[in-house]
Amino acid sequence: MTPLIRTENLVTNFYTYEGVVRALNGVSLVVDHGTTFGLVGESGCGKSVAVRSMMRIIQEPGRVEGGRVVAFFDPRDKRRGIDLLQQSEAYMEHLRGDQISMIFQEPNAALNPIMSIGDQVAESFLFHKKKEMAAAVLAAMDRENGRPPWPLGAFQRALYARTAVSPRDPLVALTGRLPLVRRWQMRLRREALRRSVEIIGKLGIPNPEAVARLYPHNLSGGMKQRIVIAIALACSPLLLIADEATSNLDVTIQAQILDLLRHLKETEIASILLITHDLGVVAETCDRVGVMYAGNLCEVANVTDLFNAPRHPYTRALLEAVPRLHQDGPLRSIEGAVPNLVNPPAGCRFHPRCPEARAICRKHFPETVHLGGDHSVACYLYTDRPRGEGAA
Amino acid sequence: MDNTHPRLRELKYTLYRIFRNPSAIIGFTLLVFFIGVAVLAPVLAPPKYAHNPYQMPHKGFSPTPKPPSEKAIFGTTSGQYDIYYGVVWGTRTAFKIGLFVVVISGLFGVGLGAVSGYYGGWLDEALMRVTDIMWAIPTLVLAMAIVVAFGRGLDKVMIALALIQWRWYVRVIRSEILTLRDQDFVQAARVMGVSDFKIIRRHILPNAIYPVLIMASMDMGSMVITASFMSFVGLGSPKGYADWGQMVALARNYIVGPPDDPLRFWYTIAIPGACIILFVLAWNLIGDALRDAFDPKLRRR
Amino acid sequence: MLTYILRRFFFLTFVLFGVSVLLFGILMTFSPERRAAAYVTTPQQAKDIPRIIQQFGLDDPFYVQYVRWIKEVSRGNMGWSLVAARPVGEAFWRYFPITLEMNLYAAPIVIFLGIWLGSVSGIHRDSWIDHSTRIFAIIGWSLPTFLFALVLLMVFYGYFQMFSPGVLSDALAMSIIDHPDQYTAYTGMLTIDGLLNGRLDIALDALHHLVLPILTYVIVVVALNMRVMRSGIIEELSKDYVLTARAKGADRRTIHYRHARRNALLPVVTVAGQLVAMSMEGSIAVEVVYNRQGIGWWLAESATQLDMPVLMCICLFMGVVFVVTNLTIDILYAYIDPRIRLN
Repeated sequence: MTPLIRTENLVTNFYTYEGVVRALNGVSLVVDHGTTFGLVGESGCGKSVAVRSMMRIIQEPGRVEGGRVVAFFDPRDKRRGIDLLQQSEAYMEHLRGDQISMIFQEPNAALNPIMSIGDQVAESFLFHKKKEMAAAVLAAMDRENGRPPWPLGAFQRALYARTAVSPRDPLVALTGRLPLVRRWQMRLRREALRRSVEIIGKLGIPNPEAVARLYPHNLSGGMKQRIVIAIALACSPLLLIADEATSNLDVTIQAQILDLLRHLKETEIASILLITHDLGVVAETCDRVGVMYAGNLCEVANVTDLFNAPRHPYTRALLEAVPRLHQDGPLRSIEGAVPNLVNPPAGCRFHPRCPEARAICRKHFPETVHLGGDHSVACYLYTDRPRGEGAA
Repeated sequence: MDNTHPRLRELKYTLYRIFRNPSAIIGFTLLVFFIGVAVLAPVLAPPKYAHNPYQMPHKGFSPTPKPPSEKAIFGTTSGQYDIYYGVVWGTRTAFKIGLFVVVISGLFGVGLGAVSGYYGGWLDEALMRVTDIMWAIPTLVLAMAIVVAFGRGLDKVMIALALIQWRWYVRVIRSEILTLRDQDFVQAARVMGVSDFKIIRRHILPNAIYPVLIMASMDMGSMVITASFMSFVGLGSPKGYADWGQMVALARNYIVGPPDDPLRFWYTIAIPGACIILFVLAWNLIGDALRDAFDPKLRRR
Repeated sequence: MLTYILRRFFFLTFVLFGVSVLLFGILMTFSPERRAAAYVTTPQQAKDIPRIIQQFGLDDPFYVQYVRWIKEVSRGNMGWSLVAARPVGEAFWRYFPITLEMNLYAAPIVIFLGIWLGSVSGIHRDSWIDHSTRIFAIIGWSLPTFLFALVLLMVFYGYFQMFSPGVLSDALAMSIIDHPDQYTAYTGMLTIDGLLNGRLDIALDALHHLVLPILTYVIVVVALNMRVMRSGIIEELSKDYVLTARAKGADRRTIHYRHARRNALLPVVTVAGQLVAMSMEGSIAVEVVYNRQGIGWWLAESATQLDMPVLMCICLFMGVVFVVTNLTIDILYAYIDPRIRLN
């Protein structure tokens, strides 16, 4: 397997008035090319913070304070990768939406209420595909009439030619901002809108031209989520991060969206990083699963291994808390509450709720242990065994 | 965790948040100073006319102000009124105006707004239409109309402002109550059969009161500004009454001194003016700090 | 959209009706003798007060008198102004341009400066610029307009002798009075009339006299606008759609100006009505102190003479202003917010 993106010891803190919230406590995970990685855990365990840190879109007052996010997007440095945390903001802007994109939890809040659907999807194209679109506009201009009317047409044509060569040209940027003068971009906008209608249609929304002209409040939750997906998919990213993308939707729509994601993974994008608290969704869609608890990744395994042979006490408790069709006896729940991350428990953060806690769990944080078959777990239950032995 | 009542703990936390804010410290210091001056007024400036301490004493009738001297440490303003005496007793006047208007209009507005917001229906509808009408005319213009109808005088100004300002409190408390009314804990109390009065008193008002407090604090300042402007144009306190706005009015013809020394009479306007500004500033700083402390978005993150 | 505007229009007509009833209610607290003055249009009539009471039925029930009063007002008869020594309706149009002129210049400054400063301090939250605009806003709120105007007058007129009170220098005012045939008052606004008459000196001098009033007014009024814009920006920047925009690769500029600012403008539009009320209050203080004979000055002078007809006229005018601004706000709101436009 070739890795697509890897985090190493990611640490993210939030500086609030109450104190420092230690939301991520050294999270290391790998998403491989062509796989679906599921990240599960209770709400507030840091799943969203982890992926937002990877994209560097943590909002105030949060800060990514340690570790590396290594991306292997560029085929030229497949070996070494690029540490995204070391890159400039401009580099990240270039990357976001083009190579990594994200779908959010709450479709009702994820869209700008006063911007038309078409415009919001078109933005993705305008940020990343200016060059291609300008070339397309130029070609269309040439097809229409040989000589553009002088001087406005010539001016417009010259600017498009410049954009087709380098979309970040200073003259292009300047004329794109001046009032009235910026109208030269009309055809570029129309091209972006045409492309957005196309992608909206591709996602199974009927009558995409009409939908593009609507505003978010006109659409249902499921429709809005499809639009959010359309925005994320516009530029065919390598990695799609779905942050609880189906949690707030009706069950039938949830199934539709999951089907859509599965279908897209086969056709459009390389990998999906799926965040959810629903283990059923994980079992259905993911290849690999990571379980998070209170800012730590406690167990990572292939999906069948995890469901068949969970290792970490937390994973076991989590699986036991899922109701089954042929349930014997009462449903078990996990004793205790999710810890306050301003003052997390010392040692392993799960120890106060762990049925198998030992003395060492209260003092030291367990190292990640690699068991066989790509199964790794952070728990002292497994440290006394020699490495490599275990599950199999 | 301590075992104090949750509301008390919340209050402690609020106080902690307020006093961490430097603007609150400045505001409260200024306020304590003004309260001290108002309380100690008879000691700081013994009244000359025991039956009417608010009447400023004056030696002579000369219209030209006299600069600060040993006899009058802040100088005398036009008509030889002692500025120091006026400023000290003017503090009492300012509190009188602010407290009267804010307490009367606040109680009236909150009571009316709470009842109509909680019960809704035709009462609410009617009340909202009345306040809509009240909103059409700016405070100062409406206050002037009422004062003209009732006659001049500081008491009339205060009544007029109280008659107008309640509309703010109705609006503030009502919008709070409309959001609180449908929340689960209120619904739960209702299902449990708690009486409406008790629900309003125990559950709604304590949660809705913060914006009213912020409003009241800001209002203390703005009412003193409005009243002092009305005194300035001659609708409020009579000549010689210890009122900052009235003292600025006395100074009005002396803002520009003789050509060789244009700022000669600076003290006539600067001293009462500074009092107004600092008094209003104190309340605004407190209001601003309260707003920050009660902002639920900043409060818990 | 049309039904929305129509509904608002009916509501606002109701408000105007309510305002007139309220005003008439205030007027009715007067004795019939004093109320008779509201119907007096010339000084000669003032002698026949008892006859007027009988003639106009000032002892009649409330609603009869109210209908009669409204009839008179709609005919343009609003009584006699002591200050202007002419009928109120006529005097109003004399004073109105002066106030309008000042507000026409100051309003764009207040709006754009407020929006700009508010966005900058919201975007750069807790930076030095945010703290200084915050201090500026609190001071602006705490400064009584009349006091601030007096201090500016003291410094710039008294000490530096740069600006003087009034609307026009005496020499120029005399030149207009001396040669009435060479100067036509098209609008009553001196800067515009000066240009229309080809008298650049008058236009410039009038503008010179406007500097201090506009400065006072802007500093006192801009704070509200600015703070609302700031908190709007902060609120919008914390919303999820901003995260969506960031995730699709939007740069800061796009996020701040294309996404957050347009959304943050909505609360600013809603306080526009309050802004208009504040600017009216500001106009009164500014005109009184700088001795500009506009509506605000007229109101204050008439109030000290207990001249009720003028106050009634101005209150009614404020009602009309309220209706017009609110209708404008509603339309503007619908223009910015598609949720209203399309429903």
